[in-house]
Amino acid sequence: MRTQRRSLRVGIVCPYSFDVPGGVQNHVLGLARYLRQAGHRPFVLAPGALGPASEALDSNDFTTAGAAMPVRYNGSVARVNFGPLSAARVRRWIHRGKFDLLHIHEPITPSISLLALWTAEQPVVATFHTATPRSRSMQLAGGVLRGAIEKIDAGIAVSESARNVVVQHLGRDAVVVPNGIQFDDFARRRHLSDHPRLVFLGRLDEPRKGLDVLLAAAPLIMEARPDLEVVVAGQGSRELPEWCRNRGMISVESKIALLASADVFVAPHLARESFGIVLLEAMASGVPVVASELASFLDVLGLPQDESRLGEVFTPGDPRALAAAVLQVLQRPNPLRIARAQQTARRYDWSAVGATVVAVYRAALSAAPAQWAERNIG
Amino acid sequence: MSTVEILTLVIIVALTIGWRFTWLATRVDRANLRAERSWAALDAALVRRAQRAQELVLMPGIDPATALLVSAAASAALEPHLSRRDRERAESDLSHILDAVDPMLLGGPGLLESERARASICRRLHNDAVATALSLRRRYTVRILQLAGRAEAPRPFEMADGRPSGRELGWARDR
Repeated sequence: MRTQRRSLRVGIVCPYSFDVPGGVQNHVLGLARYLRQAGHRPFVLAPGALGPASEALDSNDFTTAGAAMPVRYNGSVARVNFGPLSAARVRRWIHRGKFDLLHIHEPITPSISLLALWTAEQPVVATFHTATPRSRSMQLAGGVLRGAIEKIDAGIAVSESARNVVVQHLGRDAVVVPNGIQFDDFARRRHLSDHPRLVFLGRLDEPRKGLDVLLAAAPLIMEARPDLEVVVAGQGSRELPEWCRNRGMISVESKIALLASADVFVAPHLARESFGIVLLEAMASGVPVVASELASFLDVLGLPQDESRLGEVFTPGDPRALAAAVLQVLQRPNPLRIARAQQTARRYDWSAVGATVVAVYRAALSAAPAQWAERNIG
Repeated sequence: MSTVEILTLVIIVALTIGWRFTWLATRVDRANLRAERSWAALDAALVRRAQRAQELVLMPGIDPATALLVSAAASAALEPHLSRRDRERAESDLSHILDAVDPMLLGGPGLLESERARASICRRLHNDAVATALSLRRRYTVRILQLAGRAEAPRPFEMADGRPSGRELGWARDR
């Protein structure tokens, strides 16, 4: 007999503001959407405001933690909030929410996530997104935050690299559950033009995303392929050479269409990318991928010397290596690899990723004190 | 400094030290309880996994050799009063046997697959809880003041998780 399982009230805490796009924010919305479809009740607490017409979440189920302050964290500017007012808000939200469990993202950022971790009485599942070995807060966490870290009942890391950081710096372990994608949205019919089209997605003005490397490499590629078209899309403004087409900030639909028209996708990130979600979306679209050799990208693509790797990698920051890798992809198309990459990307669909997150919820609840564990069944 | 001042200072210091010890004791207690509860959860998950494996034998179209192997491994894991070592070995054997069973026979990811994943997650949570408890127990203050009480030190449960769940659901690639 299969036991009847009650739907769960999950309080999700996201430290980064919903006023700006970002990987963690997208992940939280994707998770909320999955949980709703699976019959659970997700509630989200985050700084900023929920965009209009968010199909992932009912606006009543979103609570703002107020306006956020920009702070430098993990090599980029993050908008977070903290202080006594935020602490009171967090406490009230937890108290009124009557959650079965809390799912806290980036629990040790100095933000509402950490405040929620301090306040939590119910079981806590925490997701670590950062794969930065020398993150300042990770080092601090070893000492000052010990007590808070011990409150986490189940850790989730978005990649093997992120898990290694958790193990080494926090002395805790985590189950690896990657970020999810909406696979079916991306796996569309391809529309290629006669010119080879190279696509870059990501903030244009953030050096870490590596657009400069791509711009230095493009002329080298054009020596061999003068008809190359370079299309970039992302937030931020900057001066671009005239051969580079800038689509600016685009909607998800336009992103899907752009990927469907790409001949090669380039991820020239310089460092500290927590998770290769952009790679997976490109792979799901059936675009060959060229990425810099970062731990989190290798987690997805496989090692460069591996015959079964799913994309080409190059030394981060090296325009020559980037150009060579792109030419390799353009001149020798590898349909088998594209098919395998697409198949791999399918495993990251929310249907699989979300189910595993819920399995972690269930496992955490089954190891929780009786009054919480009861809520797991029946 | 007057006597009152010295006395106040002594009291403050004593209170601070007392608070620190209480806090540490709370953490030790919390960690021990979590290790105990997570073991109960893992134990239950492993039993459910073995029970599901036993049900495989009833699958229509399963060949007798597979049926016998799976059933023997599952029964061995369900044997009562196994020593810790023997239990670890029996559960690992069951993992290996289930790895070897043709997934087509299982009819895709069914209940057994989800129980396997669940057991693997529970094991990770348990060993994580054990590690926390042990690192607190190793602390000088905890040992000297016997903050861990008489409770036996928890031990990690070492076993092979098997194919789908060992590296979680096959997301991570071999590095």
